[in-house]
Amino acid sequence: MQILFDNLQVLFQGLALGSIYSLVALGFVLIIRATNVVNFAQGDFAMLGAYAMVMFFTGLEWPYWLAFIASLVAMAIFGVIFNYGVYYPLRHRSFLPVIISTLGASIFLQNTVLAIFGPQPRPMDKVLAADGITVGGVFLDSQYLVILAVTMAMVLFTYVFFEHTLLGKKLQATSQDKDMARLLGIPVALMISITFIYSAVLGGLAGVLVGPILFVSIGMGSIIALKAFAATIIGGFGDVTGAIVGGLLLGVIESLAAYHISVPYKDAYAFLALFIFLLIRPSGIFGEKVSEKA
Amino acid sequence: MALLELRGISSHYGNVQALKGVSLHVNEGELVTLLGANGAGKSTTLKTISGLIVPTEGEVLFEGKPIHRAGPEAIARLGISHVPEGRRIFPGLTVRENILLGASNRKGVPRKQLEKEADEKFEIFPEIRRFENALGWTLSGGQQQMLAVARGLMAEPKLLLLDEPSLGLAPLIVQNLFATIRDIRKRGVTILLVEQNANMALSVADRGYVLETGTLTVEGTPKELLGNEQVRAAYLGGHHG
Ligand SMILES: Nc1ncnc2c1ncn2[C@@H]1O[C@H](COP(=O)(O)OP(=O)(O)OP(=O)(O)O)[C@@H](O)[C@H]1O
Ligand SMILES: [Mg+2]
Repeated sequence: MQILFDNLQVLFQGLALGSIYSLVALGFVLIIRATNVVNFAQGDFAMLGAYAMVMFFTGLEWPYWLAFIASLVAMAIFGVIFNYGVYYPLRHRSFLPVIISTLGASIFLQNTVLAIFGPQPRPMDKVLAADGITVGGVFLDSQYLVILAVTMAMVLFTYVFFEHTLLGKKLQATSQDKDMARLLGIPVALMISITFIYSAVLGGLAGVLVGPILFVSIGMGSIIALKAFAATIIGGFGDVTGAIVGGLLLGVIESLAAYHISVPYKDAYAFLALFIFLLIRPSGIFGEKVSEKA
Repeated sequence: MALLELRGISSHYGNVQALKGVSLHVNEGELVTLLGANGAGKSTTLKTISGLIVPTEGEVLFEGKPIHRAGPEAIARLGISHVPEGRRIFPGLTVRENILLGASNRKGVPRKQLEKEADEKFEIFPEIRRFENALGWTLSGGQQQMLAVARGLMAEPKLLLLDEPSLGLAPLIVQNLFATIRDIRKRGVTILLVEQNANMALSVADRGYVLETGTLTVEGTPKELLGNEQVRAAYLGGHHG
């Protein structure tokens, strides 16, 4: 019985951790679809969100909820700046200059934060003061519960937004054929801006949520981004559902393997999973669903 | 005043010159066809009008105002709808969604109204109604062509640019399509029609132009064009007319 509880406990933690990967992976995929470019600064969105929280909550001592909202608003503004500073000037170039530009942005962001906040990792408060609850022998940590709930809400919101609003359809149209979207009068630059805003907020949210678990550090974004990137490949490159499922799967695999095999190699399991997927199903779980007709 | 006027337009793709000093006009309510062989520059002309290509020389005037620097999004909002070559259906959106987005150039129209208008488009093209909720890429070429025209009409254009709408359609469907083009025109939409099917095009047009390697060579009424030996030889399949 205890073994079952322990496994459920690990599964629960894995899903929560996986939710973080899913949020960042979702941001990845939205930008890939809108611009055909992998944004290497995606993980730094999470790092920035977490530091924004540190600044508003710990630094300025704003109430938690206000600091939370302010961090997300700051990330939205940052999304616009990132779009116009990193992507927009290179939008007519091939993907390579843009990728290098996002890599440069990543280095720049990390060093800027280092210069302002210093190298010391920062602790962060949990969203809820309560420790958690025990359900049938399984302890559910409150922060993990919050992560799961917020992720579920965001996934639901994203689904409704993209599938049931005209704006969502215009965003999709933009990612599928920019020139045609333009011919229909869809403001393509604005659509891409919205994508970056959304993506930055998703990343920032992931950072604020995971902060209390991982500590807030300069490098936190890099490791999250690597996992999230692996999740997008496992899920099917560029697939929205795939990103979410891939993230959750990766979190679960990682947690179970860490519990049953060995903790120090925790990060390695994610990449082992990626490696196995690339060997047996390189198109990912949801890959090749939509093929294009000539 | 002509609704659309091109004055000495030259357009390039990099170093390749596709249009050399093209001047033409389309009056309000007219259906004008642009004929020419493959590579003559027909599609380039339409792209220059809709803003996908910025001309290197000359002016495009719409309702008397220059638009050739405005960009495609702004031009669409002025009421020019371009149904481009290759159909360009959004593959990952449904047929209905493709149609709805055709109205993106119109501001502040409620969703309900747009849905109603989409239903009207299915009355014009009943063949695609049953695919309403299918993804764009699953349609056949002919169905995509109908969808492209339906989407173009959602813009409620003052000027409709059609690039080879009959391409790849079965003869019977082509008949229907041209009947539809006539209807659209009767409703007051001005049309500039690019076609390979010169006989068909001239049967619905008020006037026509012939484009040869980037230059306009002949202009006239369908009767004049049909009577022109050169035109007949090149585009109408010999002397049978
Ligand atoms: N994207 C492009 N890049 C370079 N050259 C191009 C491009 N598109 C067209 N051209 C060239 O411009 C010229 C005109 O092409 P355009 O597409 O306007 O011809 P068209 O009359 O529409 O022909 P078709 O009947 O085959 O559609 C051609 O010589 C073509 O090779
Ligand atoms: Mg053409």
